[in-house]
Order: sequence, then C-alpha cells, then structure tokens
Amino acid sequence: MAEEVRVVTKRMREHTEDSWTLQRVLDTGGYDGARKAVVEMAPEELGGEVKSSGLRGRGGAGFPTGVKWSFVPADVSPKYVVVNHDEGEPGTFKDRELGERDPHQLLEGMIIAARAVGANKAFIYCRGEFALGSRRLDQAIRDAYGAGFLGEGIFGSDFDFDIVLHRGAGAYICGEESALLDSLEGFRGQPRLRPPFPAVKGLYGQPTVINNTETLSTLPHLILNGSEWFRQWGTEKSPGTKIFSVSGHVNRPANYEVPLGTSLADLLELAGGMQNGKEPKAIIPGGASAPLLTSTDVALDFESLQEAGSMLGSGGVVFMDETTCMVRNTLVTTEFFEHESCGKCTPCREGTWWAVKVLERIEHGDGRQEDMDLLLDICNGMDGRSFCPLGDAASWALRSGVKTFRDEFEQHVAEGSCPFGGGERVHVGARVGATGLGEAGITSQPAAGIDADSEPEAAQP
Amino acid sequence: MTRRYQATGGDIDEQNGYRNVFDDEQQAWADAIVAKYPNPRSAVLPLLFLVQSVEGYVTEDGMRTVANMIGLTPAQILASGSFYTMLKKQPQGEYLISVCRNISCTHRGAYDVIQALSERLGTDAGNTTADGRFTFETAECLATCDGAPSIQINYDDFYDVTPQDAVALVDKLERGEEVRSAAGERVRTVREISFETATAGARLPGTAGDHRARTVGGEAQPSDFLPDSRPKLSHDEGSHSG
Repeated sequence: MAEEVRVVTKRMREHTEDSWTLQRVLDTGGYDGARKAVVEMAPEELGGEVKSSGLRGRGGAGFPTGVKWSFVPADVSPKYVVVNHDEGEPGTFKDRELGERDPHQLLEGMIIAARAVGANKAFIYCRGEFALGSRRLDQAIRDAYGAGFLGEGIFGSDFDFDIVLHRGAGAYICGEESALLDSLEGFRGQPRLRPPFPAVKGLYGQPTVINNTETLSTLPHLILNGSEWFRQWGTEKSPGTKIFSVSGHVNRPANYEVPLGTSLADLLELAGGMQNGKEPKAIIPGGASAPLLTSTDVALDFESLQEAGSMLGSGGVVFMDETTCMVRNTLVTTEFFEHESCGKCTPCREGTWWAVKVLERIEHGDGRQEDMDLLLDICNGMDGRSFCPLGDAASWALRSGVKTFRDEFEQHVAEGSCPFGGGERVHVGARVGATGLGEAGITSQPAAGIDADSEPEAAQP
Repeated sequence: MTRRYQATGGDIDEQNGYRNVFDDEQQAWADAIVAKYPNPRSAVLPLLFLVQSVEGYVTEDGMRTVANMIGLTPAQILASGSFYTMLKKQPQGEYLISVCRNISCTHRGAYDVIQALSERLGTDAGNTTADGRFTFETAECLATCDGAPSIQINYDDFYDVTPQDAVALVDKLERGEEVRSAAGERVRTVREISFETATAGARLPGTAGDHRARTVGGEAQPSDFLPDSRPKLSHDEGSHSG
C-alpha cells in the first residue's frame, strides 16, 4: 500500500484549520530552522549543507540548489533573493497550496537562503491570480515582522532581512526566471540572454538567487535535520521527498508528497485510482511541457523519467483515461503555449500559432494526410531555437502527442470527424485582454475551429 | 443606464493634456508603492493595478498618469502593461468570471461550464454583458486542477464547478447577494480586487528600496558580452550601494 511521506506538507495536512497562522506554526516547530540558520550556523555551513543534501530545484529544471547558490559572488552587494511563486505549469498546483496553507514555511526558507548567500532584501513574485495566497502571505509577513523574524536584527542577531510582496499580472512566461526578473523590473516579461546568469547579474544587475516556493519550503526541515536525514528518501541523484500534483481522471485529485523514486503506479493508487475503474491511456508526468507516458511502470525521479523519454518537470501529473481525445488534448496544450508565448523569438511565436491552426482543423474533421508530418516539422522548427524553454516545451508536448497517438490523429483525418465526439465547436478562444489591447491588438487565436476551413494556405509546408 | 465603469475623478493636467486619475489618497498609495522598490520602474504593474482600481480598467489617462509620475514615456508604460492579461485595456464588468480551459479542467467538463455561462450571460467568452456587470473569459491553468473544472470570480477560486453551479453564482451576484469562494472568501468587485493587488506590497512593513538601482531589463542587456545601448533615463542615475 502506497503511503505519503509528509515533510513539507506535514503541517498543512495535520492542521487543516489553521496551518497558516503564526500561533500554529510556532506550536509545530516553525522558525526553528530559520533561527538555527541565523543564530547557530555560518553562511558557508548553510550552503555546504544544502549542497551535500543534493536538493534539486522543485520548479521544473531540477538544478541543484546548493550549486546555484555557490555561483553567487561573495564580494558584490547588494544581493537579492527572489521567490518564484508564479506557478502556472498546467497540471501543477503545489506552490499555490503551499502559499495558501503554509506561508510561514516559505518565509522561513527565504530567511535561510538569504542568510546563506548574504542577501538582506527579498521579493516574493506571487502570481497575480493567487488572491487567497497573497492574502495569506500578507498576514504571514505582517506577523513575522511583529515577531522579530523579519526586519532589523532578526532572532536577536545582527542580520537584517526584508521581504517585499510583489504581484504578477497574468503571464505564464514570468515563471521563467529571467523573464520574471524583467517583469519585476517593470518590463514585459520576456526572457534574458544568458550568460550572465541571474546568480551573477540578476535583478537590477545584482547577484540574485531565484528559487521555487517548494524548494524554499523544504529548507527549514533540511537545515534543522541535516543532509543525511534528507537523503534517507529518494535516489542518489534525486534525494528527498517531492510534492506531486495529481489531477485528471482520478478519484482523488490532490497534492501528494512522496519520496522521489516512487512509482507512478503507487502515486495513482494514492490518488484513489482512475475514475470508474478505467485504465490510464496517457499520463503527463511533469506538467504540460513533459512528453506523454502510456505506462505507470516508471519511477518518479529526475533520471528515470529522463530515461523514459519524459521529465519530472514541476511534478504536475495528469492522468487521462480512454475517453480522452488525444488530438483535443494536444490542441489544448498547444493553444496554451501559443497564448503564453511572449513573442520575443520567432520560432516559438509563429510555430505555436501555426500548430494550433493545423490541430484545430484535424480535431474538427478538416485535417489532411500530410498534417501529422507537418506538425512534426513545426516541432523541429521550434525545438532548441528560442531564448527560453517555452518553445522547446511546446514542441515536446506536441511531438509526443503526434508520435504517441498518431493512429488517433490519422483516424480523425480518415473519418473527417472526432471519433470521441469532442469536435463540437465550443467557443473557448477569446480571452479578454490577452494582449490587453482589446480590438486594437491581436486579442487571441480564433475560437477553436472557427477558422479551421478558411485558412488552408496557412498549412502549406 | 449603463453600469459599465466610466472613468471618474481626477484633475486635468492641462500642460500635458491628460487627466491625472489619482486623487490625494490614491496618490499617497502610489507613492507608497514606488517607495518599496530600488527603482521606480518596478512599480509599473502595481501602479497600473491601482489605475484599474480607480478607473475600472487601465485607461489611457491612467497610463499617462503613471508615466508622468515615475518618469517614463506613455509608450513605455503601454509596452509593459499590454503584456499582462490581468490589466484590462478596455472597460470590464464589475465581476470578471474566468473559466480555466486547460487540460485537467477540459477533461473534467470545462466546456460544459463555458457553454452554460455563454447561454446564461448571453455572450461568448471574451466579452462583457450588455448591462456591464459581468465580463466572461476563458483562462489558462489557474493552478486549481485538484478542483477541476474550476473557475475564478475576480480571482477567488471555485472548485468542482458544474454548469448549474456556474449559473447559480451568476444569479446570486446579479441579485446583489454575497458570494463566497471555495475557501470562504468574500468575492470582491473588480475595483476592490485591483486595489488589493496594487497595494499587496505597499500595505506591509519593510522595503527593498533603501538604495537606488538601475534596471537592466528590456531589449538591451548590459552584460560582459553586450554593450549597454539602452538610452539612459533620469532615474537610472543612482549608483549601486556597497
């Protein structure tokens, strides 16, 4: 029987009524890790502990946190810590829950990170749509200042630390760390050329550590208990526990914290199995960017999923049963990337737009025999040809949809309709202010299918 | 009578040919927002949310007010503001209903919710109702897949929404009744939630603004590899401390 191992989610699961309040946090060991980091440990000890723990970033890229910190130059001031709380990877909802249910744990992690790299100022880049999460963070920051955990001389030491809560305004790309920095500086959220990397030249050109909410929320436990303790879970290259956001056609969609290396089948069991006793037909293991899997016989860690041709990504796991139209799924995913492409790089901006057009006509029964190869060709034109991984991710999701379920795509074309009956033209396209300019701008892609047969020229290879 | 938000209040800046949208109290908030940051440009998004809280949406006068306040051009403000979906550049309703249309929600019935709302509101997604009370849009993943299909009303979350639930929520709001989210939060109006978002940082103690910093974002990348070709702005003159 599969079981959760609750480290980061312990407080929120055991105290569902008030896990976000300072009183409950103090009653359950809160701020002990931060106090230890500030009062008892030297900054280099903190960095060393995190490095030897092997903790890898929980935002998607999986870069070792301690190594990231070690790139920060010691002799440059000021430095910044920035929290990437701009969760938006489809199928992922762990950071939202951590922010809503345990905001103090995040603040504690920020104190530890700041102490380790010598930063006195930090920003939380909180996704604009997270109204409740922002209110909970607001209260937590207020209370932490009141308790002397933030501000001047925290925990009675000589370490000053301030946090500024900053809200995003609706843009998935701002979860990409260099785009986040541009957004935080007041620009359009578009990725930066690297090098230099943010650790060396980040916010306002100063050394900046950008960590994901889950990564930082792990730190208090890691610092309090040590790297050996942390390594009791997971694999050599993927140590520790990880929160997986499970959704789709399962009985109990929710966040589940399990040791890395847990099998996908066990995770499905934790989530109560598939609805109506069906079998999973396709699984997205790490957010919409991750290529599809068709079997649950795989371990959930960075290296195993890479071997299986996919990736751990953000830990957003979506299970789909046999009633799912994979053309529709691929269309929805590609529409997402088309909408969220920032427009900086031509291959991503145009490739996603073009692919949506082709997918729409396949889904609505107007597809052509050559369309599947055309889609794969578009993928080749996007993959590895843009500043940031958004264009890559769009191509991975699209390529895996076409390659894994090519027979379904061909069936759509051959039958001239969607075999799942999902081809009705639901007007889902228009988003208010997608560019924010209303009629003056390109508000969105046309509603699904509306232009499917009016623009055949767009698809000539 | 239309209930659509109209631009209100403020003095005409005759010299520069626009209406300053902030009154004294709002200007105090704007100053508090700017004071949070090492560079005033970082305040662009919260200031535009503040404009939205005053005007109902991001008006041209509002963008000019912000530009003048922090020493940028109106074009620079438009360039930044037009990138983000939550900053609306056209009049919107009192309640913005956002229906997630991403994978988990689609697979659990989001299209039925979208269709029910289209019928109830008499408009397709992307539009505002004729009486100006509701704006209805589809949204990308709202990170609430555990409650799919999910919707937000002015950014507070509703989980496991059936078409009937969605219609009932509209009915309640139309009758002027209080509506509470899945977490029990009172649903705000567009102006209330915009103000809350604008002042999220400014309401709290602490600041990151005790030294002056230059921005490096935008098209030019000052680095060891590229010359800094970006034109200098007046507030860029401060030096890094330390």
